[in-house]
Amino acid sequence: MSESRPAFPATAPAVRQPSLALVPRRAAATAAARELWLAAHFPRLPIEALLPAAQSVRAAAATATDDPRRTIVSCNERAARQGIRPGMGLAAALALVPGLRVEERQPAAEVALLDRLARWALQFTPVVSPEPPDAVLAEVKGSLDLFGGAMALCRRALAGLSGSGLGASLAIAPTPRAALWLARAELGMTVTRSDALPGLAARLPLSCLRWPPQTVAALGELGIRDLAGLLRLPRAEFAMRFGPELLDELDAGLGRRREPRRRHVVPERFDDRLDLPCEAATAIRLQPALGRLLANLGAFLRARACGIPGLRLDLLHRTRMPTRLRLGLARPSSDAGELQWLLSERLARCPLPAPVTALRLRTGMLLPIAPRDANLLARGSSADPEATARLLDRLRARLGRDAVFGVCPVPEHRPERAWRIAEPGGRPLPAPWPATAPPRPLWMLAEPQPFDDWQGVQVSGPERIESGWWDGHDVRRDYYVAWTRAGVRLWIFRERPPAGGWFLHGVFG
Amino acid sequence: MTDPLAALLRHPRLWRGGSVTPGPATVPTGFRRLDERLPGGGWPLSALTEILVPAAGVGEIRLLLPALCTLAADRPEAPRWIAWLAPPHLPYAPALAAAGLDSSRMLVVRPRAGFDVLWAMEQALGSGACAAVLGWAEAAGDTVLRRLALAAEEGQSPGFLFRPPRHRDESSPAALRLSLSAHADGLDVEILKCRGGMPARVTRLVRP
Repeated sequence: MSESRPAFPATAPAVRQPSLALVPRRAAATAAARELWLAAHFPRLPIEALLPAAQSVRAAAATATDDPRRTIVSCNERAARQGIRPGMGLAAALALVPGLRVEERQPAAEVALLDRLARWALQFTPVVSPEPPDAVLAEVKGSLDLFGGAMALCRRALAGLSGSGLGASLAIAPTPRAALWLARAELGMTVTRSDALPGLAARLPLSCLRWPPQTVAALGELGIRDLAGLLRLPRAEFAMRFGPELLDELDAGLGRRREPRRRHVVPERFDDRLDLPCEAATAIRLQPALGRLLANLGAFLRARACGIPGLRLDLLHRTRMPTRLRLGLARPSSDAGELQWLLSERLARCPLPAPVTALRLRTGMLLPIAPRDANLLARGSSADPEATARLLDRLRARLGRDAVFGVCPVPEHRPERAWRIAEPGGRPLPAPWPATAPPRPLWMLAEPQPFDDWQGVQVSGPERIESGWWDGHDVRRDYYVAWTRAGVRLWIFRERPPAGGWFLHGVFG
Repeated sequence: MTDPLAALLRHPRLWRGGSVTPGPATVPTGFRRLDERLPGGGWPLSALTEILVPAAGVGEIRLLLPALCTLAADRPEAPRWIAWLAPPHLPYAPALAAAGLDSSRMLVVRPRAGFDVLWAMEQALGSGACAAVLGWAEAAGDTVLRRLALAAEEGQSPGFLFRPPRHRDESSPAALRLSLSAHADGLDVEILKCRGGMPARVTRLVRP
């Protein structure tokens, strides 16, 4: 069971001189490790998160964000074969491979991919712990028998990963940190004995520790290039010079110190299906079943003190594809009554193409929500912070998402671009917003209208607005304020040079 | 001599019958001459106000703007919406921001059907989520207006319903009814009906 690759001796006395760093404080170091950690390191994760495996036939590279040089952080295998290396400037990389496909790295996509990989690793063991940004750890000691040994497990995992087009380097070691080191060093090793670790130190470059560059540089000045050199340093001086955290890290790697890891927990979801006693042809007859499903959902959410940001309702038909409804909420909610109200509004506006045989209700991720105090005196209304979100949901459920919006000013001279539609309830503006010297109208027309009713109109102005020649939406206008006989103040303009007619753009209200 | 008495009268445990102010809770309109004419000295909170406007843009928003700023700044810990339901044009964010209204609290609703406006207004008023609800509607029967008035009371939100002046002679359950007429040098506000007050006329109010 406890096997080692022949690449290294099973028992390797790395301690040659009585250095403080290496005198084992514990006599323990039992030969068979209590835990075995599988580390999967994904050296090309930034690019693989951007391009699916099928597109890897072309050389591609991901560049760093917020970097004027646009340094390459990761490239796919084809690009690597053509000489692209992480750390190159973009100009150098393009000179080398002119057809290089370049993408800016997306940290969010990398996080999502790592999350998927952690979920994938759950097939080997229930104890999985992602190590951002680019590795996943799994405790596999208990699973080795099932999968036929450490080597077989690694082969199986590698086959699965390369099948989805991911380049990975795997390693097994008695401590999570040592497994990470081995995986990052791409040694392809399975170490199952605790006392085998120090013997490997000479083959682990400092880079696999991922320590700060200045630390690695300082160690380089001492002539230390690998872990073996590091372990020869005296403990006390090492801790004094480089900090106790790094010493702790080394101890954790060598199994002298326990390093607890956070377990990856797969988010729970609600997925329930209810067959109707008889087919329902109208939305109103779906209500009782919907109510029961939502009551289940409400109990599920209350038990977990969670809310959902939205849900999906599938109406299943006998022969047709299901009718799918999606409901998004402005604020995570667990209120079954409110959800039923919103879904009923949606159902009432969704014609049923065929009788419905069953309902299926699914949620996305659950979000923790703070339970709200039921207020006896203020009766919810004004003091209720959820009222704003609930109103937004109700209006959108009936009127459609686009019919309800917010507005937001934009610092821009062109009047039609000085505002934009925004999600209501965004961040408050940095007050005070600078007032424009000539006042702006409170009402804006969606499109400027031709203006030709000049009866009794008095005009003052102009205010000249010339802007936007650089982005193709050139504006060269003279704006005037016009008083109509009815007492309405209008904002009108004329294009410059004064060839075109007059247009009405706003009303002062 | 009066100081001990004043101190005694200020004592929180002393309650005097005369200090109960009758009349509705209000928010000042920002126009002194109009405040003097309105019971409670301002726009009624938790009630429906109906404003008859001859044409969009005569100055109805400038009339409300000071009160809207007060209402929007109220309760910064639990901010509420200023809802614009079916406005005739788009509220222009830079002008609102320059006037001091935080545009992140604006909620613009543009329903397709006319009846949806009144439905949305009832929802907005009754939800308690709005510091003010501004609605533009053509036809609104007595029943619908009564529902709006009740919703405003329930949600403790002031509602402002803008309608054309041809509805002037219809009965209305609104707590306050105004008719606006514009002139080159200001806005005339005629108070048609006012719960707890007298009809009146305030001339040349919002000067451009």
